[in-house]
Amino acid sequence: MRRVAVTGIGVVSPLGNDTGALFAALSAGRSGIARLAGKFHERLASPVGAAVAFDAARHFPAPQLRMLDRVSQFALAAAAQALAQAGGVFEGLDRARAGVFVGTGMGGAETADEGYYTLYGERSDRVKPFSVLLAMNNAPASWIGIEHRLTGPNLTYSTACSSSTVAIGEAARRIASAEVDVMIAGGAEAPLNFGTLKAWEALRTLAAADADDPSASCKPFDRRRGGLVLGEGAAMMVLEDRERAMARGATILAEVAGYGLCTDATHITRPSVAGQAEAMRRALENAAMDAGEIGYINAHGTGTQANDGVETAAIREVFGASAARTPVSSTKSMHGHLLGAAGALEFAVALLAMRGGVLPPTINLLEPDPECDLDYVPLTARAGAQVDAVMSNSFAFGGTNAVLIARRAA
Amino acid sequence: MHDASATTIERLYTLLARDFELKPEALEPGTRLEDLDIDSLRMIEILFSVEDAFRITVPAEQAELREKVKTVGDLAGYIDSLVAAQHGAGKGA
Repeated sequence: MRRVAVTGIGVVSPLGNDTGALFAALSAGRSGIARLAGKFHERLASPVGAAVAFDAARHFPAPQLRMLDRVSQFALAAAAQALAQAGGVFEGLDRARAGVFVGTGMGGAETADEGYYTLYGERSDRVKPFSVLLAMNNAPASWIGIEHRLTGPNLTYSTACSSSTVAIGEAARRIASAEVDVMIAGGAEAPLNFGTLKAWEALRTLAAADADDPSASCKPFDRRRGGLVLGEGAAMMVLEDRERAMARGATILAEVAGYGLCTDATHITRPSVAGQAEAMRRALENAAMDAGEIGYINAHGTGTQANDGVETAAIREVFGASAARTPVSSTKSMHGHLLGAAGALEFAVALLAMRGGVLPPTINLLEPDPECDLDYVPLTARAGAQVDAVMSNSFAFGGTNAVLIARRAA
Repeated sequence: MHDASATTIERLYTLLARDFELKPEALEPGTRLEDLDIDSLRMIEILFSVEDAFRITVPAEQAELREKVKTVGDLAGYIDSLVAAQHGAGKGA
């Protein structure tokens, strides 16, 4: 099996629209969560979210923009950044040996929301002519493929909150097995429209807005945690056959060392210790690593009552004696839950932490929960961390558990 | 193939230039749509804008449209014919 290098990372996130801005915000423990502004948002029980500041007109000419849902805009912008960092990755490459795997939970949800508003709210029959093309779930991946003329596999994974973890893991496998040489892989999500927010509200999984400080509404691993806060954005990576990356003199940011995948098959929402632990074990086995070698875990850490206790127990089960000395943080406390894009953004966060030697904190963790008793890097970032391997967990509604491990570029 | 009214073609130029980033100086009645890179997908969008701007409904038959409308002038003439049929001759939108 070939080894897989990460040679480019691009992000559009509630904490900034490039990896430098993201890393600075994480290191400062800054929250990207705020009160949402929108036409109907006063009708939300909890009008908070982690929105991206993104000037689409600066990125795309008007005719192209009309063909792009917000989710595809994020995906294209993140992919362009990742490719710029990877530098000349397609030179001398047969583009049939390059592809795109994107994870998204809700695809062009904003277009769907607007279309329904036109029909039911405005009682008009004039739905935008490209609604189908904007809303389809594979649009983000397709546009990236078209933009860069990549004729290898182009797939969209939709496994709710683990979608983009799966996309990156599956892309790495394709490179490892020599089916392709280069992949753009990651996730994109843009769920902060009224209809989607209302649907999440109805499921009673959203955190109440913090009365004193809306930016502190997401409280993973805290006794007072009341749910997740939705966020939007995209994270894309350039994955490449390590030999090829070295031969062309590319900077290797990290190596995708392991990928673990399993399914609960028990309940549509309720997480299971057994399933989460199994996914972590499989990723370690795939990476041929012991749990003790992992120097940082970016937790799924949604901030729901159900997840955080279960995830803690699953980490304890897999990590055993080393659990107590392994730092675990939920950066969702700062960037919110990006659903299908969460895994890719959080894997990117883990890679930035490893490269920068700064472990991002779990902010708002003021009242420890006896059920959550690991080192969550509470409140402030931890600098000077020497980490050689990182793990990123994603556990989804529907039960698809996916875990990625990366190691420092040798 | 149609003789479009001057106002219709002027309005069409404005619409094409504004919404589709086409250069006004590149637009003449005889300009072929395919030379403007207007493919079937872009045409769907142009028709949507035309429907709004001229308050008409463009029938859905794509094949007929491809046959009838090859140039910017054809499109303006076609718009005029639809305006006349749907609003009464001479009234426009």
